[in-house]
Parts: sequence; C-alpha cells; structure tokens
Amino acid sequence: MDYLKIQDLSSDTGDFSLKNIDLEIQKNEYFVLLGQSGSGKTMLLETIAGLNPCDGSIIYKGEDISLKPTEKREIGFVYQDFALFPNLNVEENIRFSSKYKKIEDAEELFKDIVGFLRLAPLLKRDTQDLSGGEKQRVAIARAIFSRPKILLLDEPLSAIDPTFRNTIMKSLKDIHKRYDVITIHVTHNFREASYLADKIAIIIDGKIKQVGAAKDVLNHPATIEVAKFLGFKNIFPITMLGYGSSSEVYSIDPNMIRVANDGGLKTDYLFDGVVDECMGVVDHYKLFVKVKQHLFFIKVLKRDHDECYANRDSVIQIGFDKKDISLI
Amino acid sequence: MKAIPQSNLFNMTLVVLALIIVFFLSVPIIKVFIGVGSEKLLETIKDAEAIDSIFLTMKVSAWAMLFVLFTGLPLAYIIARFDFYGKSLLETLIDIPVMIPHTAAGIALLTTFGDTSIGKFFKVFGIEFIGTEYGIMIAMMFLSAPFLINSAKDGFRKVDVRLEKTARTLGASPISVFFRITIPNAKKDIINGSLMMWSRGLGEFGAVVILVYHPMTTPVLIFDRFNSYGLSYSAPLVAVIIGFSMLVFLVVRSITNRL
Repeated sequence: MDYLKIQDLSSDTGDFSLKNIDLEIQKNEYFVLLGQSGSGKTMLLETIAGLNPCDGSIIYKGEDISLKPTEKREIGFVYQDFALFPNLNVEENIRFSSKYKKIEDAEELFKDIVGFLRLAPLLKRDTQDLSGGEKQRVAIARAIFSRPKILLLDEPLSAIDPTFRNTIMKSLKDIHKRYDVITIHVTHNFREASYLADKIAIIIDGKIKQVGAAKDVLNHPATIEVAKFLGFKNIFPITMLGYGSSSEVYSIDPNMIRVANDGGLKTDYLFDGVVDECMGVVDHYKLFVKVKQHLFFIKVLKRDHDECYANRDSVIQIGFDKKDISLI
Repeated sequence: MKAIPQSNLFNMTLVVLALIIVFFLSVPIIKVFIGVGSEKLLETIKDAEAIDSIFLTMKVSAWAMLFVLFTGLPLAYIIARFDFYGKSLLETLIDIPVMIPHTAAGIALLTTFGDTSIGKFFKVFGIEFIGTEYGIMIAMMFLSAPFLINSAKDGFRKVDVRLEKTARTLGASPISVFFRITIPNAKKDIINGSLMMWSRGLGEFGAVVILVYHPMTTPVLIFDRFNSYGLSYSAPLVAVIIGFSMLVFLVVRSITNRL
C-alpha cells in the first residue's frame, strides 16, 4: 500500500502555480524532490503541509488529509533557514508542540532525540547564538518531537558548512528509519539527492517531470529537459550513430570520450572533428570539438597528456563506446 | 604610525549643526525645571486640581492605548500579512490623523459623535462624548492611534512568516501562533508604539479642548492657568507632567527590557 499518495494536486498562489502533481511514497522510502530554485519545491512542501489552498487529494494511509488544517496533519517541517522561534530557547523550541498536542512517551522521546542529535549542551541556549549546524539539529529535533508521520525537509543542508554535510546526510538517513517517518527532502543538489534518495522526483516549473528509483532517474532522464537539468552533456540526435531507436537523442559523458590524432582509436563509434577550443582547468583540459554541426564537450585528464591535446582548427578523432551512451 | 589627514571642516560642520538642534530640543525642557524651582514644584504636587488632571490624563490616555491595542493590532497584522484590494488606501487612511490640524480633528469628531445619530446611538448605552472622559479618550485615540498601528505593522512585518507556518505544523492553531509566536517576536515595536501613542495622548490639546473642556486634562489645565493667571502658574504644572511622563517611560522601559 502507498503510505502517502498525492493525486492531481494543484495550487495557485497568484505568483506561482503547481500543476497536477502525482506522487506515491512507500513506507521507509527516502524521497527526494529535486529542482532548481523557483521550480516550486518549497511550495509543494507547504501545500502538503496545508499552508496553501489546493485542489486534488493528499492521501495518507488511505485517508484524505487535504482538507485537514495544518495543525492536525501531523507533519514535521524543517525550513532552509530552520525558522527557530527567537523568543524561545533551544529546549522550549524543541518542546513547542507538547503544548498543543499529546505526545506519546514525551520524556523518553525527548531524551532520545537530545541524545541522538547531541543537543544536551545546547538546551538552555538562545537560538540566536547557535551555528548553522546546531540550528539545523534543533529544527529537526523540534519537528521529530511532535511525532510527525511525514517529515518535510526544505533544503536542510544548504546553510550547513560543506565539511559537515556528509555527517549530517548520514544522520538524516538514520532519523528517517529511527523515528519511522516518511521523509520528503527537497534539494537542488544532485550529489545530496544521489546519496540520500531511494526515490527521486524532478520538478521543473511547478510540474513533476520524472519520478522513479534514484538510480533510474539520475542515469536515464526521460526527456531532454530533465537531462539538461541533471547536467547531462553532449546531447545529440541518435541518427548520428547510424541507427534508429525509440529514443530521439542520446547523451555521452564528457569523461567517456577518447581522443587521438594518430588514428589509433578503437571504439564503437568514431568521428573526425575539428578542435574548436581547449581550456586547461586544475587537473584536466576542457576540449570542444566540432563534428559536423555538433559541438562535443570532452574532458581530458592532464596526467594523461602533457599539454592541451591539439591546437585550434586541427582535425582529430574522437570516439566512444555503446555501453557509455545514455538514450533519452 | 602615520595619521591620515581628515576632512576636519566636514566633521566640524556636522557637529555644529547637530548641536544646534540638540540645544533647541533640550534647553526648553531643562529651562522649565530650572525656572520653576523646587518650592513651586512641591506646591504643584500637593495641588489636588493639578494632580487630578495629571492622573486623569494618564489614565484616559492609557484606556485609549488599550483600546487600540485591542483593535489596532489585528488591523496592523492584516496589513502586514495580507495583500488585498485597497490596502494602500487603507494605510493612507490610518496616516491621515497625523497630518491634519488637531483642532480640525476635534471638529470632525464633534460632527460625528456630538449631537448626531452616532452620538445618540452611544447614548443608549450611557456613553456620551461631550464633556466626559469618553470624549477625551476618542480625541486622544483619533490623533495618536496611528503611532501604535504603524509601529505594530512594522513589528509584524519583521516576524518571518515561516515562524508562523512552522508553529502551525507543530500543532498550534492560528490564534495560538499569534499570541505565542507573532506577538512575542514583535513585542519591541508594539511596546514602543504603545508608549508613543500613550505619550502623544498625554499631550493632546487641540482635539480634546473642542470636545471636553471639563474635566480638564493637563494640557487644558495648563492652557487655562496660563490664560487666566499667567506663566508662573502654568510652568510648575508643565514641569510636573513632564516629570511624571518621563518616570512612567523609564519604568515601562526597564520592565519591558527585562521581558
């Protein structure tokens, strides 16, 4: 059974609209919603939380919660900047929900959360004095303490020092299992998504463009739009490779293209091209090669070549193997 | 270490110009206290008519302030949080009392709450506005409410709407959120606005005197004594009301700073 099912959900706030969103999330699934800023990610989370008017249905364990007021939805929300209440200290922030609803085994849960998120030394502190990482732990603790069934995380890692991100990503995965909540994590960061997600949905302009297992979505984008958003390079018509397919275009990773100027390449596909430009970057060269009207982007490691592979306007061979291409 | 040559002329000009206005603002206040002398001051404190008028003024201004806290905070919140048709018109409307002459405001209030159908409506509940404390209250309120409303509006705007949204997800109803999150985080501006409104109310003369000559508020009494007996009778009263209002200000500030 789907734990959380979002059906034909639309919302319009005047500035922006979400259009016909369909999502299904299973128990214990870590769900990542991937999209650029302004794509409607936060708005979708707020709509699930009941903070925006909407059409369509939000079904949790068979019950439509789309008409319930926010405070009855049992949702935990962690905003990008954590939204800690400045008029309350850390402990009061965490315990906030206990004033408004009955929390089962509150003391035990409180101790467990404080221990797990290492919050004991912070409890009496003012929220203004905390670092980004500390604020984030408090915000998560506050959300978890309300015993939510669904945890909504809005770019929870963007305000965190990059050196701590890996540790925090690990604890996010643990929280999801330890406190048995459905997690929807919103981000624009592919690395975050690929590390955390069991399932990924891509949102562009308020519409879900693709949804599926993390590996499938990240490696096999369904449309050119999604492929471009996911950073796929070298997207060209499939006819170039000399065969037809249900896909119209293919993409090849810039790292997987071999180059040579002595005709010694042995790859499935081979093309002659004219060097358009070559730029040296830290440990590799960025090589742009024109094959007919298509401009290939190729990365060549500096440790394999002493200098930029070829001069401008010289003709070289480029090649790649069938196993390395992605059909879109 | 080398000294960087500074534009002393510019700095000096700033200081001189600033001092002119500081003198202008502070000297009259200091002069009132010095000119009156302690004997006259004590005499005024013992003068029942003076003290009654000071307490009346403070009390009625406080009632006006409380009434606006009750009705103006919701208004300020609506303006700060929602966009709607006619919002800027409404904001202008709130500012109008600050811009018009106070006697004009008094006349406007008289034509509304005097011997009119609105006035008669309130009479049914035993509320009359001519020559009563209610009259003083509406005169004070009309001219000083914008200070509280505008200050509260700014305060509410500074409270991140996501704090309110998060509180909702944690189980708090909209009304709990308002009292537990919104108001506490806007309290500085609300308190400042309230104090401002209250002290503006204390000083209200033009509108009050048109609606209510008796019972006399302090500004009316000062005017009355100045007109009938001259400067030496009115100046001590001025010193006492300034002293009292400053005292209340200091007490309220020191309490709210600890909150």
